Amino acid sequence: MRKILFVTAAIAALLPSYPSGQQGGGRGQAGPREVVVGQLAGKPVIQPVTRGVDYRDTINPNDPAMNGPVPRLPDGHPDLTGPWEGGGSDNDIGVEGGLKPGEMDALLLPAARALKAERSKAIYGEPYIYCLPMSVPRINPYPWKFVMGYTAKGLQYVYQLHETGDAGAHRVIYMDGRPHPNPDTLIPSWWGHSIGRWDGDTLVIDTVGYNDKFWFDAPGTPHSEKLHTIERWTRISNGTLVNDFRIEDPGTFTRPVELRFVARIVKPGVELMEYICAENNQIGLAGGYLKPGSPGIAGGAPPIGK
Amino acid sequence: MRSTCGVILAAFAVTYLTVPVAAHHGFDTEYDSNKTITATGVVSKVEWTNPHMHVYVDVTDGSGKVKTYNLELTSPNAIQRQGWNKNDLLAGERVTFKAHAGKVEEARAALDSLVKVSAPNQEIFKGQRPE
Repeated sequence: MRKILFVTAAIAALLPSYPSGQQGGGRGQAGPREVVVGQLAGKPVIQPVTRGVDYRDTINPNDPAMNGPVPRLPDGHPDLTGPWEGGGSDNDIGVEGGLKPGEMDALLLPAARALKAERSKAIYGEPYIYCLPMSVPRINPYPWKFVMGYTAKGLQYVYQLHETGDAGAHRVIYMDGRPHPNPDTLIPSWWGHSIGRWDGDTLVIDTVGYNDKFWFDAPGTPHSEKLHTIERWTRISNGTLVNDFRIEDPGTFTRPVELRFVARIVKPGVELMEYICAENNQIGLAGGYLKPGSPGIAGGAPPIGK
Repeated sequence: MRSTCGVILAAFAVTYLTVPVAAHHGFDTEYDSNKTITATGVVSKVEWTNPHMHVYVDVTDGSGKVKTYNLELTSPNAIQRQGWNKNDLLAGERVTFKAHAGKVEEARAALDSLVKVSAPNQEIFKGQRPE
């Protein structure tokens, strides 16, 4: 994986940077597919631009503020607040995480491969579009942020908040040194049980206890309740946050998978807004796939009009 | 509500989305890119709701029959971030719109463009069609 990243980085280093003023890879734009946005552990960090909308509220990658110093909290730790855009999967977890097309699918166990094939054929099968949580490591094209929760004892919690995609729930990462609960008694949940720690300037989040209901991406890359994820979040500059993401799931993959996602800081003034997804969800109605009142679909929505 | 231009259905061969989307719930799953509706009517309701915004327009045909179009846009948050607010389009205003028909329910359509009859050169919610 690291070798792949390095080769990709070497290729990407030859690509042009964004022209001045271009937001990058937006609809109809013919921009580069990826850019080098900094260094981590002596190697280039690549930011893919496979979906320009992922970065629609971010600062311009050529803005001098991108390469500004990493802001720090009073206790000396890097401030990871953001808000950010990007930094996770959405349309294809493998490709967005730095792998070649199909490379991640090749690691699926037979039953998981069959499940993905079944999901990919489904029309509107994805839980996320019914306003259920997208979970880890998914990041949809809206801002999100880490909220550092300090008490008299110092940093005790980190909350991850998404404008949309978390069904209004907050993800809590315990920073107080507690261990995971006994796996025999842990009830699987959408966000699992997350504990965090600092490794130098990197926030390391270890999560177990996920349910198997959410999809890693829109085509339905699956996982099992055996899923164990390790995120390593490093803010390498003012504008760039790297998520080195490791999947361990012996119920789904033939071996652990390592991916890298890159988030970008939003423009000044962009804050998370209210987003009550289930308020008026009319997906599937125009195409005739769903009816008003179907599970997850607005029951009170007028068929047409008033 | 009163007089109204007719509804024009025309072939509209566009590669509408330049960004590839998953086939199982992309724009083309829900809407017909080849069927464009152009009509003039009166706004009956503007819903600044999640996950997507909707504008309802009553269109009256030559016989006086009213048909309501439910026009889908993108999220209200994305639209607000582009500088639009609740006063930019109100119920009762007369508008001309272009939209892509729903594949099964034609009147549930994806908004492509919309202008007030009183200001035909100023597009409202420009570029905020559903994804």
